[in-house]
Amino acid sequence: MSEKRLFRWLSRLVEIKPGEESISLLLFLYFFLITAPFGIIKPVRNTKFLIDLGSAKLPLAFLLTAVAMGFIVAFHSKLQVRIPRDLLINNSLYFFIITCFAFGLLFLRRFLWVPMAFWVWANIFVVVTMTQFWMLINDIFNPREAKRLIGFFVSGGILGGIFGHLLTGLLSTHIPDYLLFIACGMLITSVAVLNAIFIWQRKKSPASFQKEKKTGEAEGSKIGFKVCLNTVKSSYYLKLMAGAVTIALIVSTFIDWQYQAVIENKMDVDDYLTFFGYFEAGLLVLPFFLQLFLTSSIIKRYGIRFSLLIYPFILLLGFFGIAFFPRIVFASIIKGSDKSLDFSLNQSVRELLYIPISPEVKYKAKIFIDMFLNRFAKGIGALILLIILSLPVVTKIPPLISTTADQPVPNQARFQEQPIQVQEAGALEIDVWKIRVRYVSALSFALILAWIIISIKISREYTNTVKQRLDLKWERADRVVSEKLDVNFMKLVIDTLENKNRSSVLYAMDIFDLIKQDRLTPDVKRLISQKQDEMKATSLGSLIESGETGIIQESEEFLSEDILVKEIKEIMELDVYKEVMGEYFEKVMNKEDERSEVAKMEVARAIGLMSPQSPLIEKLDELLSDRSPDVVRYAMQSVSNLQKKIYIPALVKNLQNPQIREDARDALKSFGEKILGTLSDYIGDPAENLELRNNVAWLMGELASQEAADSLLVELVQDNGKIRTSLIDALDQIRAKNPSVVFSQQTIENELLKTIKQYYRDFFKLTSSKEPEKKIVYDISRVIAPFCMSTAERDAVAGAYLFETCLK
Amino acid sequence: MEIKAREKNSIVIFDIEGEIRRSDMFDVTLHQLVKDQLDSGKKNILLNFDNVDFIDSFGVGEILASYISTHNIGGKLKLARISKKLYLVFQVTMLTNVLEIFDDEETAVKSFISEKDE
Repeated sequence: MSEKRLFRWLSRLVEIKPGEESISLLLFLYFFLITAPFGIIKPVRNTKFLIDLGSAKLPLAFLLTAVAMGFIVAFHSKLQVRIPRDLLINNSLYFFIITCFAFGLLFLRRFLWVPMAFWVWANIFVVVTMTQFWMLINDIFNPREAKRLIGFFVSGGILGGIFGHLLTGLLSTHIPDYLLFIACGMLITSVAVLNAIFIWQRKKSPASFQKEKKTGEAEGSKIGFKVCLNTVKSSYYLKLMAGAVTIALIVSTFIDWQYQAVIENKMDVDDYLTFFGYFEAGLLVLPFFLQLFLTSSIIKRYGIRFSLLIYPFILLLGFFGIAFFPRIVFASIIKGSDKSLDFSLNQSVRELLYIPISPEVKYKAKIFIDMFLNRFAKGIGALILLIILSLPVVTKIPPLISTTADQPVPNQARFQEQPIQVQEAGALEIDVWKIRVRYVSALSFALILAWIIISIKISREYTNTVKQRLDLKWERADRVVSEKLDVNFMKLVIDTLENKNRSSVLYAMDIFDLIKQDRLTPDVKRLISQKQDEMKATSLGSLIESGETGIIQESEEFLSEDILVKEIKEIMELDVYKEVMGEYFEKVMNKEDERSEVAKMEVARAIGLMSPQSPLIEKLDELLSDRSPDVVRYAMQSVSNLQKKIYIPALVKNLQNPQIREDARDALKSFGEKILGTLSDYIGDPAENLELRNNVAWLMGELASQEAADSLLVELVQDNGKIRTSLIDALDQIRAKNPSVVFSQQTIENELLKTIKQYYRDFFKLTSSKEPEKKIVYDISRVIAPFCMSTAERDAVAGAYLFETCLK
Repeated sequence: MEIKAREKNSIVIFDIEGEIRRSDMFDVTLHQLVKDQLDSGKKNILLNFDNVDFIDSFGVGEILASYISTHNIGGKLKLARISKKLYLVFQVTMLTNVLEIFDDEETAVKSFISEKDE
């Protein structure tokens, strides 16, 4: 099939870009081929375990799996940063193929230890193959591309799982002992597909193939368990979430056991494999449809609290059902409910619960919950089950009513359970396994009640947390504006629109900035890609329009931020580039015509993309004092990009110009606390322009550090009133932005009293001095009372105004 | 990478094919070929990128080195049929203000002729 035809066909199914056809199809196929074997492995695992070991041994299997997974995850994390990706994944697949084949042979010999070992192996298989698949996606695609294509890949996985399970159901009666070899065959095919993926990767993006992606994993592993644990411990909200997740996982472990116990005791042995095959296939389809049709409407209609509670309530009913009616139908219902709701509604609600949390905290909390708590909770569940299964069981219940010897004994010889005995004395003997199912249900009841209480608390905390974040935002209007509106991004988009007509080079640079910031979203593209006949940048126009031509292929490839930034940086470092552009810059700086302003703007902007060591940046001296505010604006932006402190005086000087003050402030702010010393010098120099000093005060307020606060306070004490308001405003800004900053209480009180004194000095100048003394004192006391700490202080200030020397 | 030279209206046209990347080993670089032509008295050089699949910063360096060499002897070096991607890079780095770039060979050749007539 030609690439074009393939693209046309695939684009009907998924939002695919030209050039992505083959890799997307390969990854879809690969995911299909690694999930399909699990559709065989899982039913075989369950069947062999139940037949050879029985459900009573399941808790041990759960526990061994939890422990083994801990070691495997740690080992895999170390491996993935040490060896190349293709080697890691290929060798992992070879390992699983060989061991799967070996298990296939071992099962034929019917060793008793094999089902236990296979149980653990099967869980390791699914975790390792899934992890490695997502690593592969991460290597090949950037987050934007991955988000777009993830649905397509996941559907490959779901289809693979359904296929594998259905195949098991179909073949279970014909070749039950050879299914694992079929799984091996699928895995061998997946190796071929995997290597086709690596060939594609080598061909298309050799840089990314060479790159080991170690930094990603290294960064992840640097965030250790303790950090993640402390993050969760420090938040009541996260502790509640962790608690709910723990209980859910423990309950899920109980459900797994109950489900298998009922199957073991209620179903014919020969039907196990068929049942597991078909039932598990259904379990894959159900969450998919739930997610598609119900999840978002439930959440939207009924809100977070209801959505949180629906899962435990349904399980509660399921446990009730299975406790008193331990039949296959209830086992299927509770197992089906658990898996379907967990993978659909529960996952979605959990993601929503993370919304009020900052991304950094969310990342650490997720590591703790998904990696550690997952295993820990399952291990705890397994231990509890082991304890329950070892408890003595009361098997005889005294009769409530008398029975006769004529009462028929139900014929249950077909099933494995012990027939209910009607004793001569009329006592009922209940099967051990049923009692254990009830014990587990009873405990689950208690746990689910706790889960429900925690879920209610979570929903309250969620509302409180969201409210708090909003309240914080409404404390200061300017913070609301900057936090909610992302002014810088809006400015960039507006600049881009303006530059479309002005200069193709500036336009190109704006697009480049948007790409660097990962802001060239479809909405922005639509906004800025209106056709303009006179637009020189025709290549850009077609690049950013959503065309169906082959241009998009290379543009999209190129619009990978990393490659673009790297290439441009490298070109600007070339000596030949510096030579060519050096001459050009000279020409531009010496010209004075209509075009020269735009040319200077381009130069000013381009300098910001260069290395701080480039000789070309010396042109900034001239550009920063150009007549054109636009030129200066771009020059200041470049200073900010380059972080060259030698240009700070020029930036500070530009604070006096109202046309470019805003840009000067932004550029200075980008330096952060590094320039506080310099700013303090300006603010402390009484010879400096007042406008400039006021603006510097504002800037120090924006920097909001302890050092800034201390400098401002020192200045406030020394100030003779010329910039007092700006200083106080700046201090107030710091107090609001950074509550951890400590202000000298004594200084603040002294300055407060000084300010009050000044206001009242002015007050008395304006008011009539014929008012009786007492009324004046009363007025003063009343007004200043909220500000003063003690009556004595209040009276002292009031009294001060009665002295003639103060009033005059 | 393969580079073939031909002449048209006393303009030397280099048809470049394949990839110009740093990691590849070349017997002869683009810049060397351009210099050879300049040494033999040719002053008008046109680089045709129609069949270039990939070009990295090394390739751009070759272009610029060729440009400088041509410019230093009073000649003209122009480019034709560069990819959209490369054009974008040239715009961001302001090289479009220095290099003359054309959508097709014919227009580029005409520009040489019209300059000669002037």
